[in-house]
Amino acid sequence: MFRPNKMSDEPKNSNPQPEAEPAVTRSTVPMWIFSLTLVLIYLGAVYFDHHGGWFDPQVYSPYKNAEELEAYQPKSGAEALRAQGKKTYETTCGICHGTDGLGKPGQFPPLAGSEWVNAKGDKRLAQIPLDGLNGEVHVKGQDWSASMAAMGAGLSDSDLAAVLTYIRSSWGNNASAVTADDVKAVRATAVGKPAINGETQLKTIPE
Amino acid sequence: MKNGFSVFIAAFIALGASWCGFVLAPVLQLGTAKQTTILVSGDTYPVQRTGDATLGLQVYRANGCTACHTEQIQQDGVVFDVVLTAAGKNPVVVSNLISTLKLTGLTKEAADSANDKITTVGGKVETHLIPTGRDIPRWGIRRSVATDFLYDSPVQLGSQRIGPDLADVGARLGNADWQLLHLYAPQSVVKNSGMPPFHFLFETKKIGDAPSPDALNLPKEFAPPAGYEVVPTTEAKQLSAYLLSLRADVPLYEAPFTPAQVSTNVPAK
Repeated sequence: MFRPNKMSDEPKNSNPQPEAEPAVTRSTVPMWIFSLTLVLIYLGAVYFDHHGGWFDPQVYSPYKNAEELEAYQPKSGAEALRAQGKKTYETTCGICHGTDGLGKPGQFPPLAGSEWVNAKGDKRLAQIPLDGLNGEVHVKGQDWSASMAAMGAGLSDSDLAAVLTYIRSSWGNNASAVTADDVKAVRATAVGKPAINGETQLKTIPE
Repeated sequence: MKNGFSVFIAAFIALGASWCGFVLAPVLQLGTAKQTTILVSGDTYPVQRTGDATLGLQVYRANGCTACHTEQIQQDGVVFDVVLTAAGKNPVVVSNLISTLKLTGLTKEAADSANDKITTVGGKVETHLIPTGRDIPRWGIRRSVATDFLYDSPVQLGSQRIGPDLADVGARLGNADWQLLHLYAPQSVVKNSGMPPFHFLFETKKIGDAPSPDALNLPKEFAPPAGYEVVPTTEAKQLSAYLLSLRADVPLYEAPFTPAQVSTNVPAK
């Protein structure tokens, strides 16, 4: 059944109709593009917040941010004690003695560089927050006459020990650490006594 | 060219912006990186490599080890385990409480709450942070961070994992004899290893008056003919020293974990 190829016999259309030229027209951008863009920006921001680490060179995935990384730090004994001391100091002592340990000129004596804070033993120092201190005290070449309430009487042994360790090892101070047992021993003798009366009585307490 | 100046400015801004992002910002952030302190032990990390190991990095590079090995451990997350260290005065109460609690694979919040519950009845606990991920613990303990590569020049990160990751190989396989044996005849120590033997890093020679102390102790099917021995060349020894120096097994601030025991960064002998 031979059939000649009809197509090849047809003459080629040498002059086809040109397609319509594309033309620039004005039309509004559809609303869904705006909505999609906003959704994408939102998702991008959420993703960045979870994975970007806010460009902190210390924060690697899978950690989200510096706070999470900080919370995961395995605290060794000394570090944990210091953190506890700092926290308690700032809520209990820092209002008068300052978070920088410099006190307030003319009102509250400094702890940074204080000869009482840096004393060899910690018994006398521990008794000040347990009983309070009134009257004149000589600190760093100046006379101070504020009265301090028994701020440490309400703290636990470990909190007070942490605070004392903190003030003895901060702002350039470099004295030995204070243990909770030391505080416990001092508390046993100091509890219920009236506030220490000035430097003269303070000096009678053994270091 | 029309608007040549504008095109130049546009190209300059585009390239300049990517240069700032890819070169300038990382240099500003990590360019001054120094040795750091290991969280628990307080030792410095990383330590400078020995001379042999430093040259070994170049042998590693020259032999194209990065074609099959990476030096970057990945980490997907962290879990927490609560571990009892002392039962206190009421061991029965503590053990009863513990039998009702889930103590492994916890989130930080769950671990803290379990910690509080056990502490209130007088037990003492430790919370252990354990990194998780597909590379952990088979190839490493924690993810790799920039500090790990402080003394690598150039850094041999690699991208192909035809072989295992080597970021912590010195801690995993810290035995020079094993490394040399493995370089000479990988299948003699890892049966189905796909690694080619690196015979050219070794010398097969006639045993002289006495066998060389460096000679490899090869199993029969890999051993040279009788009367011959296989001794590593200097390059093989350098490469082995480099592999032993690859240890990313200490906790850092940016990659914390709780070590089983306080780890040191002294390379294995």
